[in-house]
Amino acid sequence: MQRINPFKIILVTISLIVTGILVLAVGSLFLVPTWSDVWTNLFSKEMQFSLQLTLWTGGISASLVLLFALPIGYTLSRFDFPGKGLAKTIMDLPIAFPELVLGLCLLLVFGNTPLGKGLEKLGFQVVFSKTGVVVAQFFTALPYAIRIMKSTFDYVPQRLEFVSRSLGYSSFETFRKVTLPLARNGILAAAVISFARCIGTFGTVLILAGGTYMKTETLPITLYLNMSYGNMGMALTSGVILVLVSFIAIFIVEKTEVGV
Amino acid sequence: MRLLLALLMTMCVMGTGWAGNLKIYSGAGLIKPMEEFRGNFEKTHDVQLDIHYGSSGELFGLLGMGQTCDVLIPGAAKYTEDAVKNGWIEKGSVHRLVKHIPVIAVPAGNPAGIHALEDLARPGVKLAMGDPKGPAIGRVANKIFKKNGLAKRIKPNVQVLAPTVNQLLIYVALGQVDAALIWGDLVTWAEGKGKLEVVDIPASQNMIKTIPTGVGSSSASPEMAHAFNDYIGSAEGMAIWKKHGFAPCSE
Repeated sequence: MQRINPFKIILVTISLIVTGILVLAVGSLFLVPTWSDVWTNLFSKEMQFSLQLTLWTGGISASLVLLFALPIGYTLSRFDFPGKGLAKTIMDLPIAFPELVLGLCLLLVFGNTPLGKGLEKLGFQVVFSKTGVVVAQFFTALPYAIRIMKSTFDYVPQRLEFVSRSLGYSSFETFRKVTLPLARNGILAAAVISFARCIGTFGTVLILAGGTYMKTETLPITLYLNMSYGNMGMALTSGVILVLVSFIAIFIVEKTEVGV
Repeated sequence: MRLLLALLMTMCVMGTGWAGNLKIYSGAGLIKPMEEFRGNFEKTHDVQLDIHYGSSGELFGLLGMGQTCDVLIPGAAKYTEDAVKNGWIEKGSVHRLVKHIPVIAVPAGNPAGIHALEDLARPGVKLAMGDPKGPAIGRVANKIFKKNGLAKRIKPNVQVLAPTVNQLLIYVALGQVDAALIWGDLVTWAEGKGKLEVVDIPASQNMIKTIPTGVGSSSASPEMAHAFNDYIGSAEGMAIWKKHGFAPCSE
């Protein structure tokens, strides 16, 4: 008979209790609303607007995030340069601070400032606009994507890159034809996580883009506004959609088997 | 196992701590005087106040969802009236405290040259407004614009519908918009000082509201709830309201 290991029992119990509470919490989101209610809400004007805005802003933001996370992740993984440690810390900062603070910072930078006014002249009104939604999502999701890309590139053997160089490929050719294909799973994971993070961004969007009904209303804002309007049906519906998207995202990431 | 026991025990202890608390729902714009009331009341009474600040619409929504509170202090009398009708607030406990006067707040220096309500409808003026379904000021602003026949012309100028009144204050103070309708008492806040200016709305165009208070009908400690409900309307309470820029209803 195996000896009882109290240490193991306690740890497993804690894990099970917390998992149980989470299952209960997420489960009640699906059990409380009636499905006909969710169905009607899904096709309401407000929800359709919010869904479409969320999907296209999330798509644009996640693409931009990838576009920047790839070179930055590669830089942090491969190159040494003065101030690298500081740059890395600063790019990680938004993970640590609350979204509301990030929103306020962005409002101060893009608001009534020379930068903000300059962008407005070029046709990019950032504050209180759909552009603002994209900017808010971009800065919220970027640090996560950079992290994933850095650790992905860390695991791509540098030896293969050296071999490729010695066989005649340039740095860029090596990056494109050797490193990128090897980093495929990481890129997919970064894309999925960025997209999920973008469509779930709340505080940053609320402050920078204003959280205006049927104007800068993304799914999390729909949830928040309808909570405050006392319209539980709509709030629950947006919650259900957000949870479903997160499930799909996590499922895909697990499939790609990248450590995040 | 001991660890688990300890965990359970702390949870129990905390649980009993919560039972003795008074749950207050307050409009988000009243945070300054409310925090002072909390400090004073906790000193003289053996109770802890849990104050939830939110937009009046949100507080009303919470009650509608079956949440309960011991005392409700929303941004306009309409909310307590409706709460009494729905049986959430004791009918006899409601009394009116102070006036809530909408004013036009503009950033320091008044960059858009706003001097009257009509100026807000000028093309190109950037406005922030409270969400008409959210904070009390949103509903009231909407009504003021309608009453003065400006609603249609103002619509294109509205840049943002803010879910809480405090957000409006930030947007004006940062110069993000040219003007917003805000409660007069909010602009006396230290935060707003020097950052914004006030343009008064003539009484004939304005809609002056009152801030009410009332005791929840399913309060677990009705005596304490009534004591707080009376305290914020007492002479001592009024002095605190006045200090924060609110005018008593009796004046």
